[in-house]
Amino acid sequence: MNWLRLISIASLLLLLVPILTLLYYGLGPFRDAAGFSAQVLRSIELTLFSSALAVVVDFILFTPLAYYLARGNDRITESLVDIPVSVPHPIIGVALLILDSPVTPTGRFLLSLHINFYNTMLGLVTALVIMSAPIYVKSMEPYFESKDPSPEEFAMGMGASRLKTLYSVVLPNSYDGLSSASLISMSRALSEFGSISIIAFYVLQFPFYGVSPASVTIYEFFSGNMSGGLNAAVSASAAMILVAIPITLAGHVVRRRTGR
Amino acid sequence: MIEAKVRVQVGEFRLFAELQGAGVICLAGKNGTGKTTLLRAIAGFLPIAEGFVRVEGADITSKSVEERDVVLVTPSTCFPHLGVDSHVTWGARSKGLRPQKEYVLKVKSELGINYGGTVGSLSRGMRQRVALATALLSSPGVILVDEAFLGLNDREAFVSMYGKLAKEAGVDVIFSSQDETDGKLADYLYVLNNGLATPRQRETNL
Repeated sequence: MNWLRLISIASLLLLLVPILTLLYYGLGPFRDAAGFSAQVLRSIELTLFSSALAVVVDFILFTPLAYYLARGNDRITESLVDIPVSVPHPIIGVALLILDSPVTPTGRFLLSLHINFYNTMLGLVTALVIMSAPIYVKSMEPYFESKDPSPEEFAMGMGASRLKTLYSVVLPNSYDGLSSASLISMSRALSEFGSISIIAFYVLQFPFYGVSPASVTIYEFFSGNMSGGLNAAVSASAAMILVAIPITLAGHVVRRRTGR
Repeated sequence: MIEAKVRVQVGEFRLFAELQGAGVICLAGKNGTGKTTLLRAIAGFLPIAEGFVRVEGADITSKSVEERDVVLVTPSTCFPHLGVDSHVTWGARSKGLRPQKEYVLKVKSELGINYGGTVGSLSRGMRQRVALATALLSSPGVILVDEAFLGLNDREAFVSMYGKLAKEAGVDVIFSSQDETDGKLADYLYVLNNGLATPRQRETNL
């Protein structure tokens, strides 16, 4: 008997029990129409849209950082990247609130530029970027490290800067790594609650006016602030899990196919 | 003309090498004698603890890789996503140069590059030819060929032709080899042994 395999499967089941329980009760005994209402579907839509947007920002802003960490030897910067995900997530929400508050100089400055995080799509996406970017960077960094540096050195020998080498040589040959890192960091963004429940409890902008992110809506059902109660919370959770699982699995399938 | 006098330390391995020459230089030595270390130091990828690298009299020791005008070609050097024609002129375009179409065709023809498609779909030997042509068309001061001549079916004829084209373009070439007899393909032969470079033969016939 392969005991290692047996123990591994048992420990995996331990991790999956809460998810499987929610799926069972949410789609079965506790199924509640409120959990699949148009409002919940709009919440999921907002979560998907904002998470996808966050990943686009992750790609644009943080791919150079991941490459810099992979090819440089800057251990201090590397450890700083982890900070946002190593603090309690509501702290990030509070931090964004203070950063953009009219009572702080930074807030007055940002507001003078019409940059407002509170209950806006910008605030929601900013929080999701801060929470998902470390995952994106930590996924892309080993990918870049695993790539043969010879083509990059070749390009630099012909006068290309590191940045030009990244965009002209490395990225066109990194679609697998980029897909995997994007899907994994999108999974992280989909699951965020702590920071967005503070900075963007709901979005007060078209086309999602008055819509809360899915995790907030589930919490609202659970806390009784929205009619439906526990049954609706469990059903909405099951619906969200059904949306999130394929994205998470796709990320890991691509990752395995790229041999990482 | 390239002149290098370098002391390099990589972990426990110490290299001391002194070489100078123009045209085609063969750097021979068995595995682990420091050929790649020396080439990477000249290209700027390894710090030189002591010494200098000069190209046409200009000291490039402290210049960054991008500014040295020294290209390192290895067997795995290529940009797989590019088409052959786009690849061979990549370095030149990157430097803002516009090589004449006739010259590009001549280089491709002389080096046996008579195929199209993306470089990633080519055989390893074909990719090496494309990479070497790319390096040449980028008109650098020096091309360092780290075992990228290995695996070519017409290796001796190819090296001779490559050396001829490089000389016409005013580019020096240093290539590494495990076989000392490859010195006959070069103007200069240096043999590396336990991190020490020794000139064996000077001004051989090309």
